[in-house]
Amino acid sequence: MSQTNEQNSPSREDLRVNFFRPRPGFMRKEVTIIWITLAAWAIATFGMPIHLAIIHSDPASTLAEVPYIFGVPAYFWFSGQFLILWFIFLCFCFNILIDWLSSSYRRRR
Amino acid sequence: MIESTVKYTPFFLLGCVLLVSLVVGLLTRRHDKGGYGLQVHSIGHAKIGAAIASNWMSAASFLGIAGVFFLNGYFAFAYILGWTGGYVLLLVLMGSQIRRFGKYTAPDFVAARYDSPVARVFSAVIAVIISLIYCVAQYKGLGLVFAWMFGIEYTQALVFGVLVTFVFLMVAGAIKASRNPQMHYLLLILFFIIPLMMIAKKLGYNWLVPQFSYGSALRDLPEQLSTAYLFPWTFGTPYEWIALCFTLMVGTAGLPHVLSRFYTVPNNRDARWGVVWGLFFIGLLYWSAPAFGAFAHSWLTTSGTVLDPAEAQALADIIVIKTAEWVGLNEILVSALAIGGILAAISTITGLLVTAAGTVSYDIYYRLINPNANEKHLLIVAKGATLVLALLVLVVAVNPPGLIAQITAVAFALAGNTLFPVFLLGIWWDRSNKYGAIAGMTVGTMITFAPILFGHLSPTLLAVLPPTSSALIGAPVVILTMIIVSRLTPPPSEELRRFLVEKVHSP
Repeated sequence: MSQTNEQNSPSREDLRVNFFRPRPGFMRKEVTIIWITLAAWAIATFGMPIHLAIIHSDPASTLAEVPYIFGVPAYFWFSGQFLILWFIFLCFCFNILIDWLSSSYRRRR
Repeated sequence: MIESTVKYTPFFLLGCVLLVSLVVGLLTRRHDKGGYGLQVHSIGHAKIGAAIASNWMSAASFLGIAGVFFLNGYFAFAYILGWTGGYVLLLVLMGSQIRRFGKYTAPDFVAARYDSPVARVFSAVIAVIISLIYCVAQYKGLGLVFAWMFGIEYTQALVFGVLVTFVFLMVAGAIKASRNPQMHYLLLILFFIIPLMMIAKKLGYNWLVPQFSYGSALRDLPEQLSTAYLFPWTFGTPYEWIALCFTLMVGTAGLPHVLSRFYTVPNNRDARWGVVWGLFFIGLLYWSAPAFGAFAHSWLTTSGTVLDPAEAQALADIIVIKTAEWVGLNEILVSALAIGGILAAISTITGLLVTAAGTVSYDIYYRLINPNANEKHLLIVAKGATLVLALLVLVVAVNPPGLIAQITAVAFALAGNTLFPVFLLGIWWDRSNKYGAIAGMTVGTMITFAPILFGHLSPTLLAVLPPTSSALIGAPVVILTMIIVSRLTPPPSEELRRFLVEKVHSP
């Protein structure tokens, strides 16, 4: 019985690659970083239009009510200018974290 | 509104710029030969970023975005965000892993990952179609700018523009001039922003940062117009906005020529940091582009000019140049915008056609039709393919089906519906196999083309799957198809899965 198990073990070796069930170690940490970045990306990009769609449907009252920044409605500035900065910032943070992660794993090896 | 005067200044300057870029290309080539090994290590991240940005900037960015903003105000931000946010997806989900996988083109990756010649040819055909659609948009930009320059009809100008492109391609090939991406980027961004600053100055707005002052220009418009452009949902529903933005994002991450930029850099880390700079450089253009649309309206209002919708639609794709002309900018600055548009179009066309021709000759002809062909033979096939593809694009571009940005978006929809899921699952799920990939690409192609072919029969189909925005529904459906089909069929080889674990997903 134990012999069969030993024979089977090489083929039962864990070769699983799954974004939703990452392997422990490097991959799990990498996926955590990816999830955080993706969440920050998705909420900023799609959260604003969804929020706008729910709250504001009438043009005149919308433009009268919303806060203004740099002379345009805040959501307008957010989409037209801030989000690109936000994307750059996300890529920057992602790179810092991945640099840190890969250097710590390389040292361990 | 077509004037029939030939403008010599832009034509003369265009000749000069093309000549200079050839000479610089020639000089950099010699420079490269000297110390290739040394140079590789000293390439700065900003330099890589400029190369990413110059590879990215096409007529859609240079001419198209301003046109969409001119017509649709806030809705244009879906394009801007889609085409920048896509890089976040690419960097975060796939950049490093695909690089570690070590295959340099989309068909090569698909062939190696899914171990299937059928999948390779399928993905090759898709990559070629993506390039062709992308090129149609570039041709339109080329035709419009040359038509403006010579005061001739669009079709004639288009043929002339394609001839100019081909002469440039052949001369560059004959003298083996390499393209200098950093210089190309610098030219484009200066040719875009300096005229914009001068336009802002002429109209009496803050000219130092027109990226901010166009907001005041919008608010100075008559109330009805101002409200229409500032309110998010005047020109499109929230669903349309989100679907378009999402489609362009996944399309960016699946676009073969964007992905290949990850390989032209010596190492993975440099490639990742290059993206940060690249995004900043692309951002400079996208922060500025809407300003042209806003200033155009500002001039139209103050001068009391009223455009009917058809005229506005026809002018939208050259609104960048028109605005400069309307406000009475110096001829050289107006020319700079026209030349920038032409440069962006020409470089994109030559890049895409040459790559597509390579795919035709290597991935389709060599793999499928004639496996005994030698290098020389393949080169001839590639050259022939370049010509055939160029003519094919010409036929479609004679009657362009939409705005430059819209046509380009269809290419992104196809990439997002086919290559993106195939890359994504290929990297992040060891169980995905060739049957899944082939089924996924089939479904993705059908979803992309269904609204284009049958949209006129069913308004519902068109509303749910707009041709420019089909990937919001398409990409998840394709991913689901791939998962189901892969689950029902045998898993990929153990060797491949081991490679995924040990090579692709290790630091």
